[in-house]
Amino acid sequence: MPERSGHRGYIGARPLNGSRAPQHVQNIVIRDYAKRRNLQYLLSAVEHIMPGSYMILEDLLDELPKLNGIICYSIFMLPPDEARRRAIYDRVLHEGCDLHAAVEEISVRSKDDIGAVEDILMVQKYATILT
Amino acid sequence: MIDTAFLQPDEQALTGRFIHDGFVTAPADDRAGLDRIQRRAAELAADYLKLPHSNDPLVFLDNVHSRVSVEDLNGLRMHVIGGLNAEPWLRPTYFRLARSTIETIVGNELCMQRRINLSIQMPADDSSLLATHSDVWSGDSPFEVVVWVPLVDVYRTKSMYLLPPSVNGEMQDRMASLRSAEELYKTIKPHLVWIDIPYGHVLLFNQTLMHGNRVNEEAGTRWTMNCRFKSIMSPYADKRFGEFFEPISLRPATRIGMQYKLPGGFDA
Repeated sequence: MPERSGHRGYIGARPLNGSRAPQHVQNIVIRDYAKRRNLQYLLSAVEHIMPGSYMILEDLLDELPKLNGIICYSIFMLPPDEARRRAIYDRVLHEGCDLHAAVEEISVRSKDDIGAVEDILMVQKYATILT
Repeated sequence: MIDTAFLQPDEQALTGRFIHDGFVTAPADDRAGLDRIQRRAAELAADYLKLPHSNDPLVFLDNVHSRVSVEDLNGLRMHVIGGLNAEPWLRPTYFRLARSTIETIVGNELCMQRRINLSIQMPADDSSLLATHSDVWSGDSPFEVVVWVPLVDVYRTKSMYLLPPSVNGEMQDRMASLRSAEELYKTIKPHLVWIDIPYGHVLLFNQTLMHGNRVNEEAGTRWTMNCRFKSIMSPYADKRFGEFFEPISLRPATRIGMQYKLPGGFDA
């Protein structure tokens, strides 16, 4: 097995829940998260701005054998389709890696963690935010 | 062919090359400035590696892979780029390296990326590759250009590749059917142009075109800097004015125009 090098950051240019964070701010949040958890942060990959494109995430999943895991800026960067998300969790865990979300400060380190993440995504999908 | 009587022949030729090829290279307008940047980068790298400053920065940078591990490479990169960006002369000097070309391709009322980037790619290192992309896909405006400056000679895999404008649109149309950027690379590979640039020259390229790099299979380490420029009044995307770009040449007529108010009080 090749030597694993750390946790790759995953940031984006698409709005999340109707708001945006500059990419350098997303990186600061991820770097801070990694530092507080003693994770080695590797330069972030930036997802495409085109709606529905997850090509960069797919590249990161292909890179998993060389990584310890992925740190997303937010869990809401994951695809909206639940089946596709579950395939991502499976792939991450199968490769012996973990998946973190820096803003929400949650992680998927085992199958037991998936429910909590999915709860957040499900509530977000249906709950209303007062403005 | 640029059909205008308002541009000089050399401007027309440069513009035609940029549109046709997607890039232009040119000798640095300010060679002393480029040497200053290269020398400072080498000094900062030597400091990080606890080595004496070299009298030959190009050779030192080109051979840095013999003195640093892949694990320590990002630490070195962060130290050098942090030190360079802390120099107040860096950004004006960087602009002067390509000023004449930028003004022909973009205009003479410009904003510039606030923080200049540095890329270091040691031979056979696959830890810091840039997959096939267009900057626009990650939030840059299509109105921007990239000024890409090597601090060593770059050629073949030690350089970067670009997909020519003649095929970029066709390849982009196929993208949605591909799974990953690596698949995209394999699709466009036969059409790519690798840009050889000797030290002392600068590259301006159209960042809407697909580009990237691969594992450096040459003998020396690649050191390149990059920075984006755009016309101040052209549209912005996710890389916003203020947080990512700042004006470097706001002209008096624009300042006056932005402050002007028509006489009022007629509807009182």
